[in-house]
Parts: sequence; C-alpha cells; structure tokens
Amino acid sequence: MAVLVLIEHGDGQVDELSLQALTLARKLAAGGPLVALLVGPGGREAAGQLGAHGVATAHLAEDERLAAYAPGAWATAVLDLVARLEPAAVVAAGTDRGNEVLSHVAARLDLPFAANCTQAGAGSPTPVTRVRWGGSLLEEARVHGTPALLSVAPHTVPAAATNGAGAPTIEAFAPRLSEADLLVRVAEHVSTVTAGVSLAEAKVVVSGGRGVGSADGFGMLEELASLLDAAVGCSRVVTSAGWRPHTDQVGQTGTKVSPDLYIACGISGATQHIAGCKGAKNILAINTDAEAPILANADYAVIGDLTEIVPAITAELRKARSP
Amino acid sequence: MAVGALALATALAVCGGLFARRAKLLVDLVRLGRPAERFDDVPRRARNEAVIVLGQRKLLQRVGPGLMHAFIFWGFLVLLPTILMAMIGAVDRDATLPWLGHQGWFALLVDVFAVLVLVGVLAAVVIRKLQRPARFQGSHLGEADLILALIAGIVTTLLLWHATRIALGLNEWPAGWSPVSDLLSGLFGDDSVTEVLERVFVWAHVLIILSFLAYLPYSKHLHIFTAPVNVFFARTGAGGRLEPLRFDVPEEEMRFGAGTVPDLTWKQTLDTFSCTECGRCQDVCPAWTTGKELSPKLLIMALRDQVFEEGPKLVRGADGEFEPAPLVPGAVTDNVVWDCVTCGACVRECPVSIEHVDHILDLRRHLVMMDSRFPSEAEPMLRDVERASNPWGKPQTERAEWAERLGVRVLEPGDPAPAVLYWVGCAASFDERARTAAESTARLLKAADVDFAILGPRESCTGDPARRMGNEYVFQAYAEQNVSTLNEAGVTTIVTSCPHCFNTIGNEYPDFGGKYEVLHHSELLARLVRDERLQPKAGNGAITYHDSCYLARHNDVAADPRELVAAVGEPIEMERSGKRTFCCGAGGAHMWMEERGGKINEERAREAAETGAETLAVACPFCTVMLDDGVRQRGDDMRVVDVSTLLAESLDDGDGRPA
Repeated sequence: MAVLVLIEHGDGQVDELSLQALTLARKLAAGGPLVALLVGPGGREAAGQLGAHGVATAHLAEDERLAAYAPGAWATAVLDLVARLEPAAVVAAGTDRGNEVLSHVAARLDLPFAANCTQAGAGSPTPVTRVRWGGSLLEEARVHGTPALLSVAPHTVPAAATNGAGAPTIEAFAPRLSEADLLVRVAEHVSTVTAGVSLAEAKVVVSGGRGVGSADGFGMLEELASLLDAAVGCSRVVTSAGWRPHTDQVGQTGTKVSPDLYIACGISGATQHIAGCKGAKNILAINTDAEAPILANADYAVIGDLTEIVPAITAELRKARSP
Repeated sequence: MAVGALALATALAVCGGLFARRAKLLVDLVRLGRPAERFDDVPRRARNEAVIVLGQRKLLQRVGPGLMHAFIFWGFLVLLPTILMAMIGAVDRDATLPWLGHQGWFALLVDVFAVLVLVGVLAAVVIRKLQRPARFQGSHLGEADLILALIAGIVTTLLLWHATRIALGLNEWPAGWSPVSDLLSGLFGDDSVTEVLERVFVWAHVLIILSFLAYLPYSKHLHIFTAPVNVFFARTGAGGRLEPLRFDVPEEEMRFGAGTVPDLTWKQTLDTFSCTECGRCQDVCPAWTTGKELSPKLLIMALRDQVFEEGPKLVRGADGEFEPAPLVPGAVTDNVVWDCVTCGACVRECPVSIEHVDHILDLRRHLVMMDSRFPSEAEPMLRDVERASNPWGKPQTERAEWAERLGVRVLEPGDPAPAVLYWVGCAASFDERARTAAESTARLLKAADVDFAILGPRESCTGDPARRMGNEYVFQAYAEQNVSTLNEAGVTTIVTSCPHCFNTIGNEYPDFGGKYEVLHHSELLARLVRDERLQPKAGNGAITYHDSCYLARHNDVAADPRELVAAVGEPIEMERSGKRTFCCGAGGAHMWMEERGGKINEERAREAAETGAETLAVACPFCTVMLDDGVRQRGDDMRVVDVSTLLAESLDDGDGRPA
C-alpha cells in the first residue's frame, strides 16, 4: 500500500527535514508507492526535486487560501488524499507544522499519532521508535490504526536520495476547505532575528554580563561582533535587567553555544552561565576581577575594564583590516 | 402547640432535606477520590484537631482577623445548645432544655459569647469593607456578606428573644446572670406586643438557623463541616516529604499525578471543599506577591469549580459517556502550575490545612510524565540530572575536586564507614559560590576532629530537582541508587550542606529503605560549638539570617543556624523569618527555570537590606546564589555568605580548637 508524505517547502525548495521524513517513509513503504503532498504556492517547483527521493506521484493542494499556513486547511488536504488513496501510513517531518497538521488529522480521524519517530517498520500495528522526554528517552511503541500517523524526529534520519527515476507525476487538486479550516492561520510574519548570525550556530560569540553596565553598553559589543561576524550573547543578569532579550541569553536556561571563540565581557561566570558556554573551543574572559569564576574556565583572560579593552580590540581589528 | 410542632417539623424537613441532598453529593465526590494514606498517627491528628480547630492556632497567626474568627467560632460552639432551646421554646413557649436551660452561668456564657460573636461580625465587616486587604482579591465577597448577615441575624434574634422573655418574666434562668439580655429587656414592656415579639424573635431565630443550615453546604461557608475533617486528615509527617508514586502496582492502579478530576485523591477533593477563600495563602505566596499568575487560593478555587462542574456527572458514572476535561488548562494554566517554588508558605498559613503544594506537584507529575510538557528551559537540567548525575551536566570526576585540596577522605567501596558521612550535594560540589560552604564545613569538621568522609564521584543528585519538576521516575531511580550506595557503605549519620538534600535524604529516602540520622551542617556545627569543640570569636557585625524554606518551614531547623549567627555577630531579624520565611526563588526546581514577572530574589534581598545588616547569612547553596544575585542586581552593599563560612572565619587564627 502507498505511504503519503507531507512535504514542507519554501522558495521552491524542499525542506531538509521533509527529505529526512521521506527517507524514513521510503523504508516504511518497502517498495510500495511513495506519494507526496505539497501545500500552497511554490509546490510545483519543489515537487520536481522529489523524484530523486523515490516519489512516484506528487499531489499539489492548490487554493489561494492556502497561501498562508493554516493547520486545519492543511489537515483537510491530507484527509482528502487519505480518503482518495487509502495509504497505509501518513508521514510528516517532526517540525512544529508537521506535528500540528498530523495532530489535526489524528483528531479528525480519531486515530493515534506517534510524533518524533526515529525508526519505523512495516506491518500493522506499525512498530516505531520515538523520542520522548525532551530527547532523554527512546520509546518503543506500536501504532494502531490505518493509516498509521507518524512524524519523524528532526536530524535523526539522514536524508538519502535514491538512484531513482526522474521527475514525479504531478497532480494538482483543490482540497474541500471549510470556513472552520481557516479559523487559525498565519496572519503576519514578524522576524525575531534583527541581523547577523544566530547565537547557537555562530563561530564567534561576543557576550556581555553585568560588567557591561547598561543596554547602551552593548553597543561596543555589537560593534566588535560585526567585525568578527559574531553573534552577541549575554548572561541572565542582563536579560533580568531588561538590557537584552531572552533570546540572547547564554546559559543553563538560555541558549547553549559552542563557538570556536567565546568572548565573555564583564561576566562573572556563574555556574548557570558556564553551563551554556562550556562547549566553546576557546573562552576569552575580559573582567576587572581576577578572582571571578569565569577565569577558571577561560583559556585566555584580560584583567581590566572592558570599556577600554573592547574598543581597543575593535580598533586593532579595523587597523589590521584597512588596506 | 401542635401547629408550632408541625411548622418546625416542616422547616426541619425542608432545610434538613436540602442539606442532606447536598451533603450526599459532597460525600460521594470525596469518596470518588483516589486513595491517600491518612489514617495513621491518630494521637497527632487528635492534637491537631485540638490546637488548630479548637485552639484556632493557625488563624491566630494573624492576631486581628484571627481573634475576629475565634470569637465567632468559639461563640457558636458555646451557643450550640441554644439552638435546641430555641426549637423547644418555639414549639412550647413555656418549655426549655432540662437543667441547662435553668442555669445562670450558662445564660451568662450565652450573653458574653453572643456579644463576642457580634464583635467578631463587626470586625469582619470592618476588615472587609474598610481595610479591604489584597488577600481577598478573587474571593467571592458577596457570599461572605450574606453569611455575615445571617450570623448577625442569628445572634441578634437570640438576644432579643431572651430580652423579651425577661420582659415577660418567662426567663427560666435568673435574669441577673444575663446582663445584656436584661439590659435589652428594658426596650420591651410586659404586654401583648412583647408577647407577639417573643414569638417573632424565636421563630426568626430558628428559621434563620435552619436556612443557614440549608445554605451552608452550597456556599464556601461549607468549611464549618469540612475544615475540622480536613485538619484531622492533614499530613502529620515532615512537611517537605512528597508522597511517592507507586510504579510497582498493576497498571490500572497506577497514578501519574493529576490530569483530571478523577485523578485527585480524596484528601485533595476535601481540600477544595474546605477553602474559605480567606487568601492568607495568597498573601504569603512568593509567586503571587511578585506578580505571577499563581495564587494558591485561586488554584484551589479553580479546582473546586471543576470538581463541582464535573463531579455530579462522575458520581452518576453509569453512562460511561462522560470524559472529564484536563485540569490544565481547564482549571488553571500551565503558568500557574510552574510558578510554584514549593516553599510551603501557603500550607503553613492555611487555617484549614489545605495542602496546596501537593496539588501543584500532582499537576506537574501529570504534565511531565504523561504529556512531556514543562518549561523548555528546564529540559537541560532534567537531561543532565539523568545523564550526568548533576543538574549542570558537569563531569562526575570533578565532583570531589574541591576536597582534594583540603585532604578530605573520599570513601572508597569497602572502606569502613566514617562516623559522619558528609553529603556535599551538587551545588556545593560544582558551583563556585556555593562551594565555599563545602570548604568551610570540611575545614570546621577537621578542626573539631570529626571523623568524616565524602562519597566523591559515587555521590549523585538526590533526584530532588527532578521530583519537584514532577519527574518521579528519575527521582525514584536516584533514590534507589543512592540508598543502595549509602546502605552498602554502612552509613548511619549523614550531614548535608544543602537543605534540599537534607529534606530528601531525611524525609523521602525512608520510603525507599534509606533510614539514617540526617543533619544539616548548621545543626552539626551548632552542636560542635555547644560542645566547645569549635570556639568562634564573637564579632559585632550586624548579620541577618535568611531561613531556607526546606530548613525552617519544612523541617523546623531555625534555632541552630541562629545560634551560629549569634556566636559570630549581632543578629538582626527580617520581618519574615523562621517558619514564616520568604523563599529565595530557587525552590521547586526554579533554580533551572526562567522567572516571569517580578523577581523573588530581589524582593527578599530588599527585605534583608532594609534591616541595615552588613551580612546576609544563609544556609543553603541555592539561597546563596539567588540572594547574591538579588543583592548585586539591586546594588546593595551586603555580603551573602553561608553560616559555615562565617563560623570558619571567626575561629581563632589557629585551628579553632579549644586551647
């Protein structure tokens, strides 16, 4: 029997996590037909890339109301295909959207849904292994019901192409959307990342603590960061004081970073902070207090006032880079 | 007379019927609850009943409102026989209770307590209408007004009835014994008008009482009946102990906290019926008072509302169609559940022994174990506790690094057990600021020649932060592992640095076969000072001591750390101290969560700074970190330091032993 995969895409490109889901689905199909569903504009372009991943037929759900993400409407598209194709399983990436859409599908079919699977075998009930408890537990479970509803935990199954056929057959259809399907939908996109690289992935992080003194004090850190193509981070004290948003916080309860270089400016180095930056390959501490705990964790340290040292580093960098 | 008897019988039947109908539902709802072990320790329970109910001790923690309530409560106890007297008198004008109805002393008691009740009602009106304390925010105020009016009505009609009887010469007791009624009798002549009024008052009295009776179980004033029962069945053991979940029972008996109304224990249901919405819990709650969503009062009220909404359908049960709604977010939001620091201030304050923290914990257990739903920032802690045996994910090999420098013995498998095992705890082992306390304690124990050792890398998290998050699995795994390590090592006495370890090992490990004498380092050090094995030098610095919730409130350790503070400096108390201390903000696994709203640690630091002390003494690694952050954030000039470090610093320049 067929396996249906919900494919997420953007700018005409298939999402990497959906390709991972497709890889698991292919195993599940065990040679049976692999069918894809792409919702909304740009689907046709993206669908062209799916042949290399073993997709025989790609269904495009087309309706101008599908331009913005609406979980109920996406679920209707899935349900329409489920009714028509009677697949053995429906698979999605374990993304916020994938899990949300399949939750709707599960509720409307009154079937169980296994989120965040890392493995799945053929058969009914479908045996799966899935991630639970924030990644600390692997659960072996059997999923009852037809179709089996599964999402694939991100980055647990590497996306692999097949040597398969060319472009899949493309079939467009208009899902039977109701008003209720569109009650919850994306109304507006607001970007949180103002500029530059993300904290979690940056190769260099320039981070500030209480010693920076004020929200304005972060200006010089941002300047240094822009020269180093670095992200700006901060300690909990800083977010508590409202100088930076919580998204910038490095630590036990913030982001855990693992850059090549972590520059800790005016950060004393509380355990809760070190827990977030201990993954750094090198830590450079700039602190007036030679006894600060951060020094015990630092590879390099400058004892002194950061308001003198940071601008000095910035100036040196500029000098070195000017022709 | 026959007409009167018939009227009374009808009124009794109607009001009694209404009462019984409601009472049956309430009893059925309580019986629907899951089991809870509350039938042991009867002498202690009887004592609680005497002290907390009859003695009104918890109410009297607040003198003004406490006396107001005590007057009304004691008044009603004394006036109980008058209900019978009035009923007899209503039916037959010339009859009363044999013997008691003729006693002058009883008439005096009635007069005195009737007046006290009126004083109480007046005080309640002043509190509610003029003072309007914030603790009533969210309570049903109109209901309280009606109840107060009924109480005033009952007592007023009683006094007026007695007054008319005196005026008519019908009093069976010597009038001189009831000065108030006697005085009021001056209002009435010995005439037919008074004769009518006498009938009016007695019937009004009886009917108000009966309608009060019928109304009671439908109102929050229900506590008249439920509170004494709730107090009797309150926990009798240490407040810091959580009831373990059983994972070794058949699946259908297994309980993973509370997800819906049928998951509540009968005591929890009874808790919700006992709440009078007085708001004392809300007033002392660190979460509510710093602007968070959680109010212990509103939590209990919301649970009660859901019990009442779904309960009747659950009691009927037969159709099997009805599916109860989740308590979260049905009754309360996720935020409410996660705002709690488990400090227990609410439980301590509650006059009717509601156990709010147990409710919160059961809600958390369900969210975490069934839905895997909790604040995401706590995830690294849960994972690290499980994987690395400590909440920060530090390597176990580094656990005893601090001790190497001091030459502390690390107990290897097979070694003879030391007199005292020093359970250092993760915070004091790994956190730079908290570690000072471990170093000081070790130095002091050495100076006092105490035979002690640490477990080093064989020590691990007690599981407490996971348990307070609701992750009972992980906790029990650690409990079993640690108990087996400790038992194999032949340990009998344990000293801990961390009040949370102290509580867990002392109060919770016995449930897993670990029974030891467990001391907090402040207790052991105070003992050594008393025995003159340590001789601190008296100082004159002003020190204010912050009680850790898990020492003072949950475990009654408040005097020993104070002895140490007094030995080395000049103690100044904060307003909230001892068993009524205010949390530092770290409890209930909040050390590893982000705080919404105002900051609890800054609020406590403010209170400490207001004493003018130069030193803020603590006895808990988490309080150390939280309050040190709070003090720095506020920019106060105050040193936050563990009592053990204060003691170590004050010892004679040598080793601190007696010369």
